[in-house]
Amino acid sequence: MENLLEIKNLRTNFTTSNGVVQAVRGINISLDKGECLGIVGESGCGKSVTMMSILKLLDDNAVVSADEIKFKGIDLMDKDAKFMRTLLGSGIGMVFQDPLTSLNPLYTIGNQIMEPIKIHTNMSSKDARAKAVELLRLVGIPSPESRLKQYPHELSGGMRQRVMIAIAISCEPDLLVADEPTTALDVTIQAQILDLMVDLKNKINTSIILISHDLGIISGMCERVIVMYGGMVMEEGSIDDIFYKTSHPYTKGLLNSIPKIENGKREKLVPIFGSPPDLLNPPKGCPFSGRCDYAMKICGSHLPGMKEISQSHRSACWMLHPKAATLSKGVLTNG
Amino acid sequence: MDNHKLLEIKDLKMYFNINKGLFKKDNKFLKAVDGVSLNVNRGGTYGLVGESGCGKTTVGRTVLGLYTATGGEVIYDGDNLTQKSEKEFFPYRKKIQMIFQDPMTSLDPTKTVGEIIGAPLSVHNICSGKERTERIRYLINLVGLKPDHISRYPHEFSGGQRQRVGIARALAVEPEFIVCDEPISSLDVSIQAQIINILEEFQEKFGFSYLFISHDLSMVRHISQKVGVMYLGHLVEEAEVDELYNNMQHPYTKALMSAIPIADPDINRRSSRIILEGDVPSPINPPSGCPFRTRCSYSKDICSAEKPELRNIGRNHMVACHII
Repeated sequence: MENLLEIKNLRTNFTTSNGVVQAVRGINISLDKGECLGIVGESGCGKSVTMMSILKLLDDNAVVSADEIKFKGIDLMDKDAKFMRTLLGSGIGMVFQDPLTSLNPLYTIGNQIMEPIKIHTNMSSKDARAKAVELLRLVGIPSPESRLKQYPHELSGGMRQRVMIAIAISCEPDLLVADEPTTALDVTIQAQILDLMVDLKNKINTSIILISHDLGIISGMCERVIVMYGGMVMEEGSIDDIFYKTSHPYTKGLLNSIPKIENGKREKLVPIFGSPPDLLNPPKGCPFSGRCDYAMKICGSHLPGMKEISQSHRSACWMLHPKAATLSKGVLTNG
Repeated sequence: MDNHKLLEIKDLKMYFNINKGLFKKDNKFLKAVDGVSLNVNRGGTYGLVGESGCGKTTVGRTVLGLYTATGGEVIYDGDNLTQKSEKEFFPYRKKIQMIFQDPMTSLDPTKTVGEIIGAPLSVHNICSGKERTERIRYLINLVGLKPDHISRYPHEFSGGQRQRVGIARALAVEPEFIVCDEPISSLDVSIQAQIINILEEFQEKFGFSYLFISHDLSMVRHISQKVGVMYLGHLVEEAEVDELYNNMQHPYTKALMSAIPIADPDINRRSSRIILEGDVPSPINPPSGCPFRTRCSYSKDICSAEKPELRNIGRNHMVACHII
């Protein structure tokens, strides 16, 4: 079966006045139909830039290169902006972090939901309007008819994000990219939105790429996770692989930084010391080597390749090299 | 731990007049905090949680005297702060300090880190000259930055480092009590743990008391001894940390807890979430009776007629709910 999305060796550089920032440094992603993939990492790790590069939404100072970018078997590498515009909306929907800045404050909600429908289908205004009402009802907005006439500032944050989702799914895309969809929202509203996304995924059978810094959200939503750091993939696997058979020291570090809530005991948090690498001048070896407790000599000078641990689980760490030894089956134990 | 109360907040009310103006006839009030009482013990940490707009930050700012309270009392070490004039309040500014949420906007971009940390030393006439330089150097080391950072500007630092500068500034005057207003919410997960560990270490070392304001319930559980849950300007539940997290009573607390995403796939598969309907009502026009009744699935007639008072249900567990 053909994958829905196939990306090989994606690289994105930004030319800035300080030099070239290497935001994404060789990333492979493949996504099955109907799958929910999580991309997790800290700010500046390149998780958003990865998706923006694929969709060609970056500014002019970005230089994107890749061996392959395929969506539904269509090669996107040499496609121009005009083609991308027909694809965005109908094939791929996007939900951004901050709904207030991604909705146009000068147009009504109804206007903004009907726009992609009118562009991508041959619906008449009247039908598009009916469809908009139906979409608003689908995303759980009460009294949708009257909401169509409202402007974004008249809605609460959670409501705005629901409108964003309604726009994103208006043409029933095959892929929904949600970039930190709930970061600007409160936890009870966050739970509503995540619940809605799971619900929609089951209803219209779209694939979802969920970009988040929150491992909690990822673990509740996704089937597979990619952990990014310093513009590279550190570890990739099913959620059970990532959470229970953690292989990469960075993933382990992320999990240790979160206070455990389930048992009454309070353990001291184990932070990752230092801060992420400067991508203007990325380290020669593993990007995490400077902060890693297990770092060896080779980590600072050579990049570790992706090593397969099981069929679903891969990790980029020198400790998995047969000569490094001492780790049982690529699984890091506590401490 | 000493059980002596360091800070006592009694029935604190903070209303903002949002219809002020020469030609406006009637006053309209936003009731940000509407009758909150809580105590912070010496050397302890009180965690105040709630969603945005629930009034938790306003409580913190009123304690610091940044707002003049509409009603109620803030008693610090036996002295009533709400009745003090600006001049009388001055010595307390040395004892009570604050760490802000966003270290980018709470540090002056035109000043070096040395000037920022040194400012409170000059304002309170603590030291000057060589002694001052020494103290700044000491503080910088204390929060884990390097001496050559002193001459740099805030924009040259990462978020975590900036928050360390904010902490060093708060520590400069050797305070007793620190209001931490969402000190970690703008930071990455791995950096959050660094800052929390610093705060804990200093509490042990210097005996600070914290009012820790946050929406991150798992972090609050980690750092606090006592926790209060706020909703729409009211304290709806309060208890010792383990009692609250293991035996939560208020429907809002339950919904809030169940909404926290837990980084454990097995737990997520097993448990089902309580999803609240709708949004938080506007504090300008709050619902009658119980503030939570519009989103509460157990709501009865009495909830809209009468405002529930905080009651002790045993083990110092306070809940404001009619149904319990």
